[in-house]
Amino acid sequence: MDKGNPKELWEHVLTQVELSISPANFNTWFRNSFIVKIGDDGVVYIGVPSQFFKDWYLKKFHSLLLKIIRDVSYEFRNIEYLIVKDEHRKVQKESKNTRGALELPLEEFYINKSDNLNPRYTFDTFVIGSFNNLAYMAAQAALNRPGITYNPLFIYGDTGRGKTHLIQAIGNQFKKQYQGRKVFYLTSEKFVVDYTDSVQAGTANRFKDKYRQYDLLIMDDVQFLSKKDKTQEELFHLFNALHDTNKQIIFSSDRSPASIPDIAERLKGRLASGMAVDISEPDPESRMAIVQKKAALHGVMLSPEVVEYIATTLSGSIRELEGMVNSIVCHAQVKGSAPDIAEVRQSLRSFTRPQKNISVKNVVDRVAEFYGIDEDSIYEKTRRREVVRPRQIIMYLLREDFNISYPTIGSKLGGRDHTTVIHSCEKIKREIIVDNDLVKEIQNIRTLLI
Amino acid sequence: MNISIEKKEFSEAVYIASRFAERKSATLPALSSILLIAGDEGIKLRATNLETGIDLKLTGTVTTDGVVAIPATILQQIASAFTQEGKITLEHLGDILVITSGTGKSSLKTVPYDDFPSIPFPENPKNRIVLPGILLKNLFSSIASCASTSTVRPELASIYLSIEGGVLTAVATDSFRLAEKKVPLSNKGTQGKFLIPAKNALDIAQALPDNDIIMSFDEHQCAFVSEKGMVVSRLTNATYPDYRQIIPKESIVEATILRKDFETALKRTTIFSDAFQKVRISFDPKKNTFSFFSKNTDIGESSEVLSAHVSGSALELSFNHRYLSAVLSLTSAESISLTAAGIGRPLIIKGVSDTSLLYLVSPMNQ
Repeated sequence: MDKGNPKELWEHVLTQVELSISPANFNTWFRNSFIVKIGDDGVVYIGVPSQFFKDWYLKKFHSLLLKIIRDVSYEFRNIEYLIVKDEHRKVQKESKNTRGALELPLEEFYINKSDNLNPRYTFDTFVIGSFNNLAYMAAQAALNRPGITYNPLFIYGDTGRGKTHLIQAIGNQFKKQYQGRKVFYLTSEKFVVDYTDSVQAGTANRFKDKYRQYDLLIMDDVQFLSKKDKTQEELFHLFNALHDTNKQIIFSSDRSPASIPDIAERLKGRLASGMAVDISEPDPESRMAIVQKKAALHGVMLSPEVVEYIATTLSGSIRELEGMVNSIVCHAQVKGSAPDIAEVRQSLRSFTRPQKNISVKNVVDRVAEFYGIDEDSIYEKTRRREVVRPRQIIMYLLREDFNISYPTIGSKLGGRDHTTVIHSCEKIKREIIVDNDLVKEIQNIRTLLI
Repeated sequence: MNISIEKKEFSEAVYIASRFAERKSATLPALSSILLIAGDEGIKLRATNLETGIDLKLTGTVTTDGVVAIPATILQQIASAFTQEGKITLEHLGDILVITSGTGKSSLKTVPYDDFPSIPFPENPKNRIVLPGILLKNLFSSIASCASTSTVRPELASIYLSIEGGVLTAVATDSFRLAEKKVPLSNKGTQGKFLIPAKNALDIAQALPDNDIIMSFDEHQCAFVSEKGMVVSRLTNATYPDYRQIIPKESIVEATILRKDFETALKRTTIFSDAFQKVRISFDPKKNTFSFFSKNTDIGESSEVLSAHVSGSALELSFNHRYLSAVLSLTSAESISLTAAGIGRPLIIKGVSDTSLLYLVSPMNQ
């Protein structure tokens, strides 16, 4: 305890007093009092509401209080009671904890509160290649005539292709280009939470108004709205409200509007009603450009062969690519020089994925184990149903994931004809379109195989 | 303790004292009690809620000394139920108080009196004035209703009293209207000003006798001493807004109306006032009329035209009718004068021939 701090000292006094008098007494006499100041001469001034209190303190509590503060420190000589002005007795607002409000040191974590946009995502840092050129052009068109050209703009593509970067860059550019207009970026998940909160708090109307005020609304990862019927309905109405007033809306998703599962048809139609554009897998040249740009952003120049090595040897999304670049940059900064190819190879070892050279026997073992059957029966000529299905799946996996030729698969699995293998693969392919359970099973088996 | 008192005196004293006891039950039990003291100084009743306090003297015979605290509500119920003339005896045995009155006998559980706070009576206050109790009583009870009921601004929930040049000025406002009343004093020496919480002032007004009392005050509390006892109240420690600033100095129209006319016409008009209790008044100097108008979409509308003496230019203003009718309880003058300084400016109401009152009311937005 800081004995020089009146507030802390008073809290200490209160805890002590509370132990020695009845709760009713404590509430009556101590609730509205506090230490006004601690004088230099060791006199503690206690502020009380009225003369009643002053008299009673002097009569009843003086020796108790004096004992308590003497126990804290012998520097305190005496207690004086002051009747304080009414204004001073009002509950003082908690002073804000300035320590907790320290700004995060990393600029990259900075997010603008009013529009939720991360200023790091701009078009300056966006690499345009053939894979995302269309999306970029659509974004530019939407920016030039917001709400008119492509409304809504729907950008989709696999994870780590730069969807978020692109849509946030649109937001940041919009802010710059049209000052005074309101932008808001959010993820669909945040939208769901916001909606449920507002329903819970009974402020659904405020929720509606909140989102209707924006000139540009950017919603990331709309695929997470699947199965959330009420939120979808809310988004549907919001969409209509914004669309009718020519406010630009931008969505992103990891799949096309038509293939988002469990989403209301009317919403699906609206998502696809403007411009739906996909960002495909970046080609090697684009990947190299990305690596170069990211490294340059960190102030590290990489030699062409290093760039090529990073971009080509490692498959994976742009996000992973960025991770690799960061790792290399970190190594370079520690060493103080640009890394050569050998060092890069060394430092990127952790990023390389396990090679997919897996034996047929291994696949058979895993699948048999998965279905709980004897792996020998796979190789046999038996046509029992519980064996046929796993055998077909094995053939399908070997063909699809490991690119083994049909005749090889046939001969490895007990000398079967390659047409049998073709038939099995086709059959599974057909079935996974309609059978969700099968898709899940195969997905699970795949995770076992990696 | 063993005492005997006249029933009537006892029940009156209990009635007054019980108003000063704490009404909230959550606090110290002693605060919601009345302390009964029998000693060398006679019989005394004490009660306090830490805002105000009272110490009443009773005449009676003390057989044995003692102190006892009894829950105020119970004692008040008992005292108000006494019938007939005569004396009662109160006897304290252990933690029981036995009240015997003629035919009846009640045993009351007492409250430990150790917790009963001492009431801080000013010993030698700097400022004292002597004035008739009835004067202060009327002043407090009429003006207190104009003070704010909210505790957000303690200064507005108080009555401002200032003594200067032999005049006692009392002011109360809730920021929508303001009432100022002046009372002449017999001794002119004392000067000073203080703020007394309006709620306390009302309680005190009930307790004051009609004859002369001594009002004394210092920085933090004031006391009213009479031969029957003493009442103290804490004072509001705040600065009162400079109300004189808002009183318009100039005027554009003035009307003088009979109080009776004003009262009845207003009463009829308010029936038709809307949810905002709005009543429109208009001054017409050409026809020498003053009229009320109110309209409620659910009920209908009503207008009253009163003959008045109007001088100045025509004007229409809207008011909350409660603030208009409040003036009637502040003055007893036969006719009243209304002075307006323009649209959006406050209206001044005074009693003709009654210079003691100044009532100011802000108009509603049209």
